[in-house]
Amino acid sequence: MQFQLTDEQRALQDAVRSYLRDRFGPTQVRALFDTDTDGVPADLWKAVNEQGWLAVLVPEEHDGLGLGLLDASVISRAFGAATVPGPWLSTILVGEALRLAGSPAQQAEHLPRLTEGLVMGAVALVRNGATPNPAGAPVEVGGDSLTGDLGLVEYAEAATTLVVASRDGGLHLVDPSGPGVTITPQSSLDRTTKLARVVLDGAAAERLEGSSPEVLQEVLDRAAVLVAGDLAGIARKALTDTVEYDKIRQQFGKPVGSFQAIKHDLADLHVAVTMAEHAATYAAHAFDIDAPDKQLAASIAKSKAADASRTAVSAMIQYHGGIGYTWEHDSHFYFKRSKRQEASYGDVAQHRERIAQLLIDGAGHPAAPSTTGHESSGMAAGVA
Amino acid sequence: MDLRHTEADEDFRRELTTWLDGNLPQDMRENAFWADLSDDEQFDARRTWEKGKAAAGFAGIAWPTEYGGRGGTPTMKAIYDEEMAKANAPRTVNPLGLAFLAPTVMVLGTEQQKQDIIKPLLHCETIWCQGFSETGAGSDLAALQMRAEDQGDHYLLNGQKIWTTNAMHGDRIFTLARTSSPEGGKKHAGISMLLVDMEQPGIEARPLKQMTGEAEFGEVFYTDALCPKDAVLGGEGNGWATAMLLLSFERGSSAIGQYTEFRRQWSAVVEIAQQLERDGRTAAQDPTIRQQLAAALVELECLKYHSWHVLTQTSQGRDLGFEASMTKMMWSETFRRVSDAYEDVLGTGFQVAHPQPGLSVEELTTMAMWSRSCTIWGGSQQVQRTVVAERVLGLPR
Repeated sequence: MQFQLTDEQRALQDAVRSYLRDRFGPTQVRALFDTDTDGVPADLWKAVNEQGWLAVLVPEEHDGLGLGLLDASVISRAFGAATVPGPWLSTILVGEALRLAGSPAQQAEHLPRLTEGLVMGAVALVRNGATPNPAGAPVEVGGDSLTGDLGLVEYAEAATTLVVASRDGGLHLVDPSGPGVTITPQSSLDRTTKLARVVLDGAAAERLEGSSPEVLQEVLDRAAVLVAGDLAGIARKALTDTVEYDKIRQQFGKPVGSFQAIKHDLADLHVAVTMAEHAATYAAHAFDIDAPDKQLAASIAKSKAADASRTAVSAMIQYHGGIGYTWEHDSHFYFKRSKRQEASYGDVAQHRERIAQLLIDGAGHPAAPSTTGHESSGMAAGVA
Repeated sequence: MDLRHTEADEDFRRELTTWLDGNLPQDMRENAFWADLSDDEQFDARRTWEKGKAAAGFAGIAWPTEYGGRGGTPTMKAIYDEEMAKANAPRTVNPLGLAFLAPTVMVLGTEQQKQDIIKPLLHCETIWCQGFSETGAGSDLAALQMRAEDQGDHYLLNGQKIWTTNAMHGDRIFTLARTSSPEGGKKHAGISMLLVDMEQPGIEARPLKQMTGEAEFGEVFYTDALCPKDAVLGGEGNGWATAMLLLSFERGSSAIGQYTEFRRQWSAVVEIAQQLERDGRTAAQDPTIRQQLAAALVELECLKYHSWHVLTQTSQGRDLGFEASMTKMMWSETFRRVSDAYEDVLGTGFQVAHPQPGLSVEELTTMAMWSRSCTIWGGSQQVQRTVVAERVLGLPR
């Protein structure tokens, strides 16, 4: 029984964290909030590529690192903790769509370019607010051209490649600068991302040949797991900063962290964040070993991490007092990022409903569940 | 990351489940079997079965063989907890001895105490009670008033203990008592842990009826009760340190047994929800109930992951320290959430044994009430939160 990161994964975690600590800290994040930028700091994006953080899931035959979702999740958690901007996740998801649904020729054309840092990805896999399954895809049917309102898409304006899902389970490559694609940038509260409204009107599209509802669901679940990692990172950082502040901040002649009302809340939060971390870790591992309960694990991770992060960023503001509500304090970076990620790829209620579908409506709920990560219960796919 | 157990550990699982198949009668696995027995009959049946299990080599799984244990690994102990819960096997009659006294004796006891105490305890020849709480000393344990007067070769004990599990069935009781007056108002000083025989005229145990209607715990009155001077554990006057060490032993344990048990209860709640009508559909189709059941399931599965984490760390010889207070917080809170969902599913039906014809819920209802005790005993949820805040997060006292 080894429920822990490997030495290599810990080394990766240290590398990401130490890069961010030294080169992309709160000052750089603040610059995104105080000035108008394209949301893709050049030095950071160069490093993200050079360190191999984009290539992590790309198979070695396409010049990638061929690692697993748990490795990617290590990166996403560190990125959440440091409120890192940029299209890392959406580029990773373009890669996953290609890896899982692309023909050999499509993979050979695009994946090596992705590992070279030549692809900046954007994805529109689910309508804003819809349950993350094929029925929630933004486009009705896919063909050589696509038409539909994609809603708000992260980094659509900066992207070189856009992947759009259709309700028949199709995954399609679209050139975001091509005709029939209208991108209207929006100002996002969370300045660690860029949002744009994207409308397709007969935009040229190339269907990934291995597309299917099952593959689309797989990509959506993997996205949810990586966002769960990001949220667990946000939650831990929000808790840690709050604890450190409340050890120092004095009121009534003593540190506010000595008051039981605050202590008990933060103790509960520590438990919740720890569980969110466990859930994000297991879910990523479940995909790496193709566990029968991986869909359940994804929904557990996303709902738990969103729940913990929501509580953590709220506590961060509350237990910093007035300063926590100011623009000058970092709390709002975490609050705003958390709100975005809580809603990404299914919110808490949607994932809980899916858990109910899998375990209550599904094939059954065994009296003697396995405790070694392999549920034998019915895994009704969340596909339409 | 590798969630598989070793082949040796899995061999142990097979050996245990094979033995359970042959030696745990089907009727004993059913809750109804126990519902028909009195408290005394229940206890005797469990003790007899547990003795048989010990004789078959399944006592003290991770304990050294020289003290009557099996000499297994922490993983085997976790597998044991899991399989016992899966089989709905009778829970141990000696929980306080097993979890607390035996490991404390291993660290602080004399060789004679180890020989005298551990094996009979593991094999249920001696049932141990814990004499800690008093009416005025619950969470504030050091406020205890029990007096032990030095009479040369023995102590004379006077006072009262309360919330004593198995008070009516215990053979011996490890008792915290004041062997000298607290000096200079230091209430932690002058306490000793005494190992007292319950079969003596100076000890009277009375049952306390719980909200479930059962009487698993009781009060113990000491009136000039006797305790030999050599029956001190950890040295005279060191009782507080001994007690803190004793309570720390819960820390290293994984909650996989609790998970397995609560997960089965969750499934039972779902089955009930699928049978009960509510607003023209089943309760299991009600969106609010579904959210509640799913939320409880999330906590349950997180408890499983946490158990893996604890097992990983303890298998590598690491002490989780105060971080492990979280385990108790986590499982007791999760148990209560499953119970909340159960009560909401039943609604008015929670009041009766048969919410609808053919549906019997007596045992589940008892468990739902029992969950209310688990956030109190062994350090209340509030005490645990303070421990986590101060010892894990480092918040100031």
